Amino acid sequence: MSYLTLAGVNKIYGKVVHAVKDLDLSIDKGEIIALLGSSGCGKTSTLRMIAGFESVTGGSISLDGKQIDTLPPAKRGVAMAFEGYSLYPPLTIYENIAFALKGSRLASSDVDKRVREVAHLVEIEDILDRYPSSVSGGQQQRVSLARALIRDADLHLLDEPMGQLEPQLRALLRGRVKHFIQERGLTAILVTHDQTEANALADRIAVMEDGELQQFDTPRALKNRPANLFTGTFIGEPPMNVFPAQTRLQDDRVHFLLEDDVALDFDRASFSDAVVERLDRGTEVTIGIRPDAVNLDSNGKPAKVFVNQWLGDQTHIAAEFAGGSIVSVEHQRLALTEGEIIGITIAAQDLHIFESSGGRAISHGGQLNER
Amino acid sequence: MSGIQIKSLTKTYKSDAVLDDISLEVPEGKTLALFGPSGAGKTVLLRCIAGAVEPEAGQIILNGMDVSGLPPEERNLGMAFQNFALFPHMSAEENIASPLKARKSTRDQISTAVRRVTELLKIDHVLGHAPKELSNGQKQRTALARALIAEPDILLLDDPLRNVDAKLRFEMRLELPRLLSGRGATVIYVTQDYKEAMALGDTIAVLDGGHITQIGSPEDVYLRPANTAIASLFGDPVINLLDVVPERDESGIFVMLSDQKVHLNSGYDAAVGREAIIGLRPESLRFANEGIPVEIEAETPFNEKIVTLTQTKRGREIIVSRPAGTDAPSTGTACIAVEGTSAVLFDRKNGERIVPASDEKEQAA
Amino acid sequence: MHHYSPLERVLRGVALTAIVIFFMFPIFWIVLMSLQTNETILRSPPSMVFEPTFSNYAAIIAGRLDSNVASMGIEFMNNLMNSIILSVGSVTVALILGVPAAYAFARHKFRGSEDIAFTLLSFRFAPPLLVLLPLTMYFQQIGLADTYLGLIWVYQLICLPLILWIVRGYFEDIPQDIEHAYRIAGHSWFATFRKIALPLAGPGIAAAALLAFIFAWNNFIFALVLASADKQPVTVGALAFVTASGIQYGQIAAAVVLSITPTLALALYAQRYLVEGLSLGAVKG
Repeated sequence: MSYLTLAGVNKIYGKVVHAVKDLDLSIDKGEIIALLGSSGCGKTSTLRMIAGFESVTGGSISLDGKQIDTLPPAKRGVAMAFEGYSLYPPLTIYENIAFALKGSRLASSDVDKRVREVAHLVEIEDILDRYPSSVSGGQQQRVSLARALIRDADLHLLDEPMGQLEPQLRALLRGRVKHFIQERGLTAILVTHDQTEANALADRIAVMEDGELQQFDTPRALKNRPANLFTGTFIGEPPMNVFPAQTRLQDDRVHFLLEDDVALDFDRASFSDAVVERLDRGTEVTIGIRPDAVNLDSNGKPAKVFVNQWLGDQTHIAAEFAGGSIVSVEHQRLALTEGEIIGITIAAQDLHIFESSGGRAISHGGQLNER
Repeated sequence: MSGIQIKSLTKTYKSDAVLDDISLEVPEGKTLALFGPSGAGKTVLLRCIAGAVEPEAGQIILNGMDVSGLPPEERNLGMAFQNFALFPHMSAEENIASPLKARKSTRDQISTAVRRVTELLKIDHVLGHAPKELSNGQKQRTALARALIAEPDILLLDDPLRNVDAKLRFEMRLELPRLLSGRGATVIYVTQDYKEAMALGDTIAVLDGGHITQIGSPEDVYLRPANTAIASLFGDPVINLLDVVPERDESGIFVMLSDQKVHLNSGYDAAVGREAIIGLRPESLRFANEGIPVEIEAETPFNEKIVTLTQTKRGREIIVSRPAGTDAPSTGTACIAVEGTSAVLFDRKNGERIVPASDEKEQAA
Repeated sequence: MHHYSPLERVLRGVALTAIVIFFMFPIFWIVLMSLQTNETILRSPPSMVFEPTFSNYAAIIAGRLDSNVASMGIEFMNNLMNSIILSVGSVTVALILGVPAAYAFARHKFRGSEDIAFTLLSFRFAPPLLVLLPLTMYFQQIGLADTYLGLIWVYQLICLPLILWIVRGYFEDIPQDIEHAYRIAGHSWFATFRKIALPLAGPGIAAAALLAFIFAWNNFIFALVLASADKQPVTVGALAFVTASGIQYGQIAAAVVLSITPTLALALYAQRYLVEGLSLGAVKG
């Protein structure tokens, strides 16, 4: 039995804007879930319906076996961190955080202990006596995060919890917050447009676009087995390389003809029979290759480097290839210069194939996509 | 002498020095990435060069000519703004053509030039649109087209990718060098994103609190940051900074981490016995069978990398990063091995780097 | 976004109607009065039932004031013309002087600029009568008393501060980067003022001009003291309806309707541009 269940949830604003369409989600206790999508995809409406700030137009939401979508926000047992911080200006940072424990009847020494613990977690110990207006945006966001995490709630909702954080703190806080949530067995849903944040924190990610759930899966599955071209290109940074292709089956080979007469061919045995049969039926496809699966090999297909950017721990190389460009990520520094010809090879197991119209995934790494 | 030279530039607002004695040089045709946190004075510096802000003291020399006192329209440069600054009552085409109109080009010259630059930037299909009808990406390209169209020798780009989404930012980062290199323009590129600075700058100048705290190649800044602040601004995940006191035993110089001696390579002698901070890049650490014993706190996948937060026996946090797809323990206890040559040691009192010493190139700059 | 239940909707409707009636009633009543004779207006108890007549309008346009005792000539149409000349003239002068000044105050902070701007605004605070008495003497000495020029000049006390302060706000709202971008593109400051600042502040300038026009139109005291009969605007001219044989309510009402028509028409016409202008403002995102 899942812990939080959204069944057929719809949200329609003013009869016109269908913000959330027939959303089904079930979340287990102790999971960290991310609702990921670009602005206007319905993720924030979904979060606000769970929190109770927004009514449900259709469908139901239940938490721990109890239907909650008709309850007022305060009765739902959820804690929320807002994107806009929403700190109380007349209270100090300390009081703002302690305020979240007002209803819990804790001894003041316990409150103090917990405030200091969570303040240490998000690195705001030295500003506890200040007022919200006198601290920076990044600090306010950390306070807001602390206030949401300190509460004993059945469900923690975090709306863009780290969007404004100072870059040098991000990696550290992601690790700490994830550890904090996991250690206490909290159930959390975070809304974000930043896929790096979703990937870093979440056990499972619900990718939304245009009010519809595109895919709900682990970060690894989203990366390796995207359900469609949208999730395939949305997840992953740098984004997936995508080329339109025509397939041709010949004896024991499978050919993909790209633009500019570039042909990728593979051993037929690299693809399952079901995939081969599917490719035989429709020949127009879109193929996708993750940047880290683009191998540089002098025996490969030629491509002309137009940029080689070293970023310290990664190198991004972009080259003209098959009428478009192809990006490769390497984990060491390479001495390639602009205009240099490199060879590119792609393994069948790294190949993602999508339908050219509609973008539904056909196969990943030679195995048929089963959704 | 061509390019951009800035000598002892100072600008104060209400008695706060926003820019304090800034000197810079960008050789002709090169790109300087001006990097710094918000409020560091980058934008003010760029506006001084453009002539929109009058500095109190100092000289700005563009292509060998001292432009102090010249109004912006006579400085002959191109600029793209962070908020795009498109003229809202003009179409994209009129926006882009504006610099040529000012130069009294003929109608034919203008339309040819507009076509060329907009095809290059892939916005030729939205020329008739008003700015408010353009997507953010198109706005940004329109602003860039306007900066490029008159082929200025000096190009000032004020964080032009800040207001576009991550995917577009990535695409433009790859595309920009191609757009800029063909023109031989001298470029100052302002950014808050260290990746853009490293990817686009021939040289990086780090501006912090109105001072230039380091000028050097991307390699200098990343591998030999001048102080702990710069070290933690470059790199994601952030560099590990741990208080240590390097000591010497019979097998060389070592620091204590998690009650374990970690030996550094030779060359770190200058730091022995000093109160120091050791900087360890997450990617220079790896999980191994022996090394620093740590407790794994959380694993956070991150852009083709996997980042693991760990804690030493003394409760200090260390971040380790490795390429995605490589195996490593994700819970429990583990050991971390340090690549001895990658460490940077800083003075704990002022945060300045002790070792490795600067290379000659940096000293010259 | 909120959803309203039917009851809420009805209550909102009732509340809005009440507000509209409250504010529109005087105008409605004036229009009714203007269509009645003095007798029907003054009957007791008042009644909404009457035979509409245009005699009041006819009398005003013809320039004859008829009471039950006597008939005398009035200069109402002349007054209306004076109002138009004075208001249009003073708004024009105020725009020519005020808009560049507003731009200067908005964009060039110099030592004392804030003080100068405030001094100009403070003219609005001075009691007009205090200013008027000495002014009358000076005007008589230099021959400006009872001239359109003199009146328009004095009207700047009303129009100029208004335009200066409103338009300055609009100029300040234009992101400076847009102007910098235009200058960096190679245009002079004056071209930037004309091609960027003026069009973008256009709606604000229109709003300020409209407001200044209404204030100038409604002015009473300056004209009362400084203008003789043939230069008087409607506000002063309306005094003529108070005659020895009583107050001609019907004709006053007709005069009021005629004199608010130009400002009302102008406001309705400009409304479209004001709204249009507000949606142009988006610079980013």
